Amino acid sequence: MTTLILVAHPQLADSTSQQFFKASLPPEASIVWEHLDAQENFDVAQEQAQLRQADRIILQFPLYWYAAPASLKAWEDTVLTRSFVYGDHRYPLADKELGVVVTTGMPAKAFQRGGAEGLTLDASLAPLAAVAQRAHIRWLPTFAVHQFGYLTETQKLQLVVDYQRYLTQPQPDSLTNRQAWFAQRLEQMVAKLPADQQATGRLIATTFDQSRADLDQLADTLAMIKETEDD
Amino acid sequence: MTNDAWLHQQIQDLAQRQPQFTDRAFWVALDQMVAEQAQRRDQLQGEIDGRTWRPDRW
Repeated sequence: MTTLILVAHPQLADSTSQQFFKASLPPEASIVWEHLDAQENFDVAQEQAQLRQADRIILQFPLYWYAAPASLKAWEDTVLTRSFVYGDHRYPLADKELGVVVTTGMPAKAFQRGGAEGLTLDASLAPLAAVAQRAHIRWLPTFAVHQFGYLTETQKLQLVVDYQRYLTQPQPDSLTNRQAWFAQRLEQMVAKLPADQQATGRLIATTFDQSRADLDQLADTLAMIKETEDD
Repeated sequence: MTNDAWLHQQIQDLAQRQPQFTDRAFWVALDQMVAEQAQRRDQLQGEIDGRTWRPDRW
Protein backbone atom coordinates (compact mmCIF):
# COMPACT_ATOMS: atom_id res chain seq x y z
CA MET A 1 0.00 0.00 0.00
CA THR A 2 1.30 3.45 -0.92
CA THR A 3 0.46 6.38 1.32
CA LEU A 4 0.82 9.95 0.15
CA ILE A 5 1.19 12.54 2.92
CA LEU A 6 0.61 16.16 2.01
CA VAL A 7 1.66 18.48 4.80
CA ALA A 8 0.35 22.05 4.92
CA HIS A 9 2.19 24.17 7.46
CA PRO A 10 3.72 27.63 6.92
CA GLN A 11 6.46 27.11 9.57
CA LEU A 12 7.21 23.44 9.46
CA ALA A 13 10.66 23.64 11.05
CA ASP A 14 9.22 25.37 14.14
CA SER A 15 6.38 22.90 14.61
CA THR A 16 7.18 20.28 17.25
CA SER A 17 4.12 18.22 16.35
CA GLN A 18 4.98 18.14 12.64
CA GLN A 19 8.61 17.26 13.42
CA PHE A 20 7.33 14.53 15.72
CA PHE A 21 5.12 13.12 12.94
CA LYS A 22 8.01 13.20 10.50
CA ALA A 23 10.26 11.29 12.89
CA SER A 24 7.46 8.75 13.42
CA LEU A 25 7.10 7.76 9.76
CA PRO A 26 7.33 3.95 9.55
CA PRO A 27 10.64 3.31 7.74
CA GLU A 28 9.63 0.08 6.01
CA ALA A 29 6.40 1.38 4.53
CA SER A 30 5.89 2.84 1.08
CA ILE A 31 5.30 6.50 1.91
CA VAL A 32 5.56 9.66 -0.17
CA TRP A 33 5.88 12.76 1.99
CA GLU A 34 5.46 16.28 0.62
CA HIS A 35 5.48 19.71 2.21
CA LEU A 36 3.06 21.86 0.24
CA ASP A 37 4.38 25.21 1.50
CA ALA A 38 7.83 24.33 0.17
CA GLN A 39 6.59 24.34 -3.44
CA GLU A 40 6.71 27.68 -5.18
CA ASN A 41 4.50 26.41 -7.98
CA PHE A 42 2.74 23.10 -8.06
CA ASP A 43 3.72 20.77 -10.87
CA VAL A 44 0.16 19.74 -11.68
CA ALA A 45 1.03 16.67 -13.76
CA GLN A 46 3.43 15.42 -11.08
CA GLU A 47 0.96 16.07 -8.25
CA GLN A 48 -1.82 14.31 -10.12
CA ALA A 49 0.44 11.35 -10.89
CA GLN A 50 1.27 11.07 -7.17
CA LEU A 51 -2.42 11.04 -6.33
CA ARG A 52 -3.08 8.34 -8.93
CA GLN A 53 -0.34 6.14 -7.48
CA ALA A 54 -1.44 6.49 -3.86
CA ASP A 55 -3.84 4.10 -2.16
CA ARG A 56 -4.28 6.35 0.85
CA ILE A 57 -3.99 10.13 0.77
CA ILE A 58 -3.28 11.94 4.03
CA LEU A 59 -3.81 15.67 4.42
CA GLN A 60 -1.86 16.83 7.45
CA PHE A 61 -2.08 20.30 8.95
CA PRO A 62 -2.77 22.44 12.01
CA LEU A 63 -6.31 23.83 12.22
CA TYR A 64 -6.25 27.57 11.45
CA TRP A 65 -9.60 29.29 11.93
CA TYR A 66 -11.54 26.06 11.44
CA ALA A 67 -9.79 25.20 8.20
CA ALA A 68 -6.49 24.05 6.74
CA PRO A 69 -3.67 26.57 6.12
CA ALA A 70 -3.75 28.45 2.83
CA SER A 71 -1.23 26.20 1.06
CA LEU A 72 -3.67 23.30 1.07
CA LYS A 73 -6.38 25.42 -0.55
CA ALA A 74 -3.85 26.62 -3.13
CA TRP A 75 -2.92 23.00 -3.84
CA GLU A 76 -6.58 21.99 -4.18
CA ASP A 77 -7.36 24.89 -6.50
CA THR A 78 -4.36 24.15 -8.70
CA VAL A 79 -4.06 20.36 -8.71
CA LEU A 80 -7.64 19.18 -8.33
CA THR A 81 -8.85 20.31 -11.72
CA ARG A 82 -12.44 19.57 -12.64
CA SER A 83 -11.57 17.23 -15.49
CA PHE A 84 -9.08 15.34 -13.30
CA VAL A 85 -11.45 14.81 -10.38
CA TYR A 86 -14.76 14.07 -12.09
CA GLY A 87 -15.19 16.00 -15.34
CA ASP A 88 -14.59 13.16 -17.75
CA HIS A 89 -16.52 10.65 -15.63
CA ARG A 90 -13.45 8.47 -15.18
CA TYR A 91 -12.91 9.25 -11.51
CA PRO A 92 -9.19 8.35 -11.29
CA LEU A 93 -9.27 8.77 -7.52
CA ALA A 94 -12.25 6.49 -6.94
CA ASP A 95 -11.94 4.01 -4.05
CA LYS A 96 -8.78 5.60 -2.69
CA GLU A 97 -8.87 6.61 0.96
CA LEU A 98 -8.52 10.12 2.30
CA GLY A 99 -7.51 10.73 5.90
CA VAL A 100 -6.92 13.99 7.72
CA VAL A 101 -4.29 14.38 10.42
CA VAL A 102 -5.16 17.61 12.17
CA THR A 103 -3.57 19.27 15.18
CA THR A 104 -5.40 21.79 17.31
CA GLY A 105 -4.40 24.15 20.09
CA MET A 106 -7.66 23.52 21.92
CA PRO A 107 -8.68 20.30 23.70
CA ALA A 108 -11.04 17.75 22.12
CA LYS A 109 -13.92 18.83 24.33
CA ALA A 110 -13.83 22.31 22.77
CA PHE A 111 -14.96 20.89 19.44
CA GLN A 112 -18.62 20.25 20.10
CA ARG A 113 -21.79 22.28 20.42
CA GLY A 114 -21.56 24.20 23.67
CA GLY A 115 -17.78 23.73 23.72
CA ALA A 116 -15.35 26.65 23.52
CA GLU A 117 -15.14 26.35 19.71
CA GLY A 118 -18.81 25.43 19.26
CA LEU A 119 -18.03 23.49 16.11
CA THR A 120 -17.13 19.82 15.61
CA LEU A 121 -14.02 18.88 13.65
CA ASP A 122 -16.25 17.00 11.20
CA ALA A 123 -18.10 20.25 10.57
CA SER A 124 -14.88 22.23 10.03
CA LEU A 125 -13.59 19.60 7.65
CA ALA A 126 -16.86 19.39 5.71
CA PRO A 127 -15.50 21.12 2.57
CA LEU A 128 -12.67 18.56 2.33
CA ALA A 129 -15.11 15.70 2.90
CA ALA A 130 -17.27 17.09 0.10
CA VAL A 131 -14.29 17.09 -2.27
CA ALA A 132 -13.66 13.46 -1.33
CA GLN A 133 -17.26 12.58 -2.03
CA ARG A 134 -17.17 14.34 -5.41
CA ALA A 135 -14.05 12.34 -6.32
CA HIS A 136 -15.55 9.07 -5.07
CA ILE A 137 -12.80 8.82 -2.47
CA ARG A 138 -13.49 7.07 0.84
CA TRP A 139 -13.27 9.47 3.76
CA LEU A 140 -11.52 7.99 6.81
CA PRO A 141 -12.28 8.91 10.41
CA THR A 142 -10.16 11.95 11.26
CA PHE A 143 -6.92 11.59 13.22
CA ALA A 144 -6.93 14.58 15.56
CA VAL A 145 -4.16 15.50 17.97
CA HIS A 146 -5.21 18.10 20.48
CA GLN A 147 -2.72 20.19 22.47
CA PHE A 148 0.35 18.20 21.46
CA GLY A 149 2.51 20.18 23.89
CA TYR A 150 0.54 18.89 26.86
CA LEU A 151 0.93 15.20 26.02
CA THR A 152 2.83 13.05 28.50
CA GLU A 153 5.78 10.86 27.49
CA THR A 154 3.52 7.79 27.57
CA GLN A 155 0.89 9.49 25.40
CA LYS A 156 3.60 10.48 22.93
CA LEU A 157 4.88 6.91 22.75
CA GLN A 158 1.36 5.73 22.00
CA LEU A 159 0.89 8.52 19.46
CA VAL A 160 3.88 7.30 17.40
CA VAL A 161 2.20 3.96 16.77
CA ASP A 162 -1.35 5.30 16.46
CA TYR A 163 -0.05 7.64 13.74
CA GLN A 164 1.84 4.85 11.98
CA ARG A 165 -1.29 2.72 12.02
CA TYR A 166 -3.35 5.60 10.63
CA LEU A 167 -0.93 5.83 7.72
CA THR A 168 -0.63 2.14 6.90
CA GLN A 169 -3.18 -0.08 8.65
CA PRO A 170 -6.20 -1.33 6.67
CA GLN A 171 -9.47 0.24 7.74
CA PRO A 172 -11.71 -0.07 9.70
CA ASP A 173 -9.63 0.14 12.85
CA SER A 174 -11.01 -3.15 14.21
CA LEU A 175 -9.31 -5.54 16.63
CA THR A 176 -8.72 -7.96 13.73
CA ASN A 177 -7.03 -5.28 11.59
CA ARG A 178 -5.03 -3.98 14.56
CA GLN A 179 -3.75 -7.46 15.38
CA ALA A 180 -2.79 -8.09 11.77
CA TRP A 181 -0.89 -4.80 11.65
CA PHE A 182 1.01 -5.57 14.85
CA ALA A 183 1.79 -9.13 13.71
CA GLN A 184 3.41 -7.85 10.52
CA ARG A 185 5.29 -5.05 12.26
CA LEU A 186 6.38 -7.41 15.04
CA GLU A 187 8.33 -9.49 12.56
CA GLN A 188 10.26 -6.44 11.36
CA MET A 189 10.83 -5.17 14.88
CA VAL A 190 12.12 -8.53 16.17
CA ALA A 191 14.49 -8.72 13.19
CA LYS A 192 16.11 -5.39 14.11
CA LEU A 193 16.62 -6.24 17.81
CA PRO A 194 20.21 -6.72 18.99
CA ALA A 195 21.30 -10.38 19.15
CA ASP A 196 20.93 -10.68 22.94
CA GLN A 197 17.26 -9.58 22.75
CA GLN A 198 16.27 -11.73 19.76
CA ALA A 199 15.15 -14.73 21.81
CA THR A 200 12.82 -12.61 23.97
CA GLY A 201 11.47 -10.88 20.88
CA ARG A 202 10.74 -14.18 19.16
CA LEU A 203 9.05 -15.54 22.28
CA ILE A 204 6.83 -12.47 22.46
CA ALA A 205 5.96 -12.83 18.77
CA THR A 206 5.03 -16.50 19.21
CA THR A 207 2.87 -15.73 22.24
CA PHE A 208 1.21 -12.88 20.35
CA ASP A 209 0.37 -15.12 17.37
CA GLN A 210 -1.00 -17.76 19.72
CA SER A 211 -3.26 -15.22 21.46
CA ARG A 212 -4.49 -14.06 18.07
CA ALA A 213 -5.32 -17.64 17.07
CA ASP A 214 -7.03 -18.26 20.42
CA LEU A 215 -9.23 -15.20 19.94
CA ASP A 216 -10.26 -16.40 16.47
CA GLN A 217 -11.12 -19.79 17.92
CA LEU A 218 -13.20 -18.26 20.74
CA ALA A 219 -15.03 -16.01 18.28
CA ASP A 220 -15.81 -19.06 16.10
CA THR A 221 -17.09 -21.03 19.09
CA LEU A 222 -19.28 -18.13 20.14
CA ALA A 223 -20.65 -17.72 16.62
CA MET A 224 -21.53 -21.43 16.60
CA ILE A 225 -23.36 -21.18 19.94
CA LYS A 226 -25.29 -18.12 18.75
CA GLU A 227 -26.27 -19.97 15.59
CA THR A 228 -27.78 -22.89 17.57
CA GLU A 229 -29.60 -20.46 19.85
CA ASP A 230 -31.30 -18.96 16.82
CA ASP A 231 -32.96 -22.29 15.98
CA MET B 1 2.66 -15.16 37.85
CA THR B 2 -0.04 -15.42 35.19
CA ASN B 3 0.85 -15.69 31.52
CA ASP B 4 -0.58 -12.21 30.91
CA ALA B 5 1.57 -10.67 33.64
CA TRP B 6 4.64 -12.51 32.37
CA LEU B 7 4.12 -11.31 28.80
CA HIS B 8 3.50 -7.76 30.00
CA GLN B 9 6.79 -7.83 31.90
CA GLN B 10 8.76 -9.27 28.97
CA ILE B 11 7.43 -6.58 26.61
CA GLN B 12 8.04 -3.77 29.09
CA ASP B 13 11.61 -5.00 29.72
CA LEU B 14 12.29 -5.04 26.01
CA ALA B 15 10.71 -1.58 25.60
CA GLN B 16 12.98 -0.12 28.28
CA ARG B 17 16.05 -1.47 26.50
CA GLN B 18 15.33 0.31 23.19
CA PRO B 19 17.39 3.49 22.92
CA GLN B 20 15.36 4.88 20.00
CA PHE B 21 12.07 6.57 20.91
CA THR B 22 10.11 5.17 17.96
CA ASP B 23 11.32 1.61 18.68
CA ARG B 24 10.35 1.94 22.34
CA ALA B 25 6.96 3.27 21.18
CA PHE B 26 6.32 0.08 19.22
CA TRP B 27 6.87 -2.21 22.21
CA VAL B 28 4.82 0.01 24.54
CA ALA B 29 1.95 0.01 22.01
CA LEU B 30 2.28 -3.75 21.59
CA ASP B 31 1.86 -4.06 25.34
CA GLN B 32 -1.46 -2.17 25.02
CA MET B 33 -2.46 -4.40 22.12
CA VAL B 34 -1.72 -7.51 24.19
CA ALA B 35 -3.78 -6.13 27.09
CA GLU B 36 -6.67 -5.58 24.66
CA GLN B 37 -6.34 -9.18 23.42
CA ALA B 38 -6.47 -10.47 27.00
CA GLN B 39 -9.54 -8.38 27.78
CA ARG B 40 -11.34 -9.58 24.65
CA ARG B 41 -10.39 -13.18 25.46
CA ASP B 42 -11.87 -12.89 28.96
CA GLN B 43 -15.04 -11.30 27.57
CA LEU B 44 -15.48 -13.97 24.90
CA GLN B 45 -14.84 -16.78 27.40
CA GLY B 46 -17.33 -15.18 29.79
CA GLU B 47 -19.94 -14.92 27.07
CA ILE B 48 -19.40 -18.54 26.03
CA ASP B 49 -19.74 -19.68 29.66
CA GLY B 50 -22.86 -17.60 30.10
CA ARG B 51 -24.53 -18.84 26.94
CA THR B 52 -23.71 -22.50 27.59
CA TRP B 53 -25.05 -22.32 31.17
CA ARG B 54 -28.56 -23.65 30.46
CA PRO B 55 -30.20 -25.12 33.62
CA ASP B 56 -33.39 -25.67 31.61
CA ARG B 57 -31.57 -28.32 29.61
CA TRP B 58 -30.29 -30.28 32.64
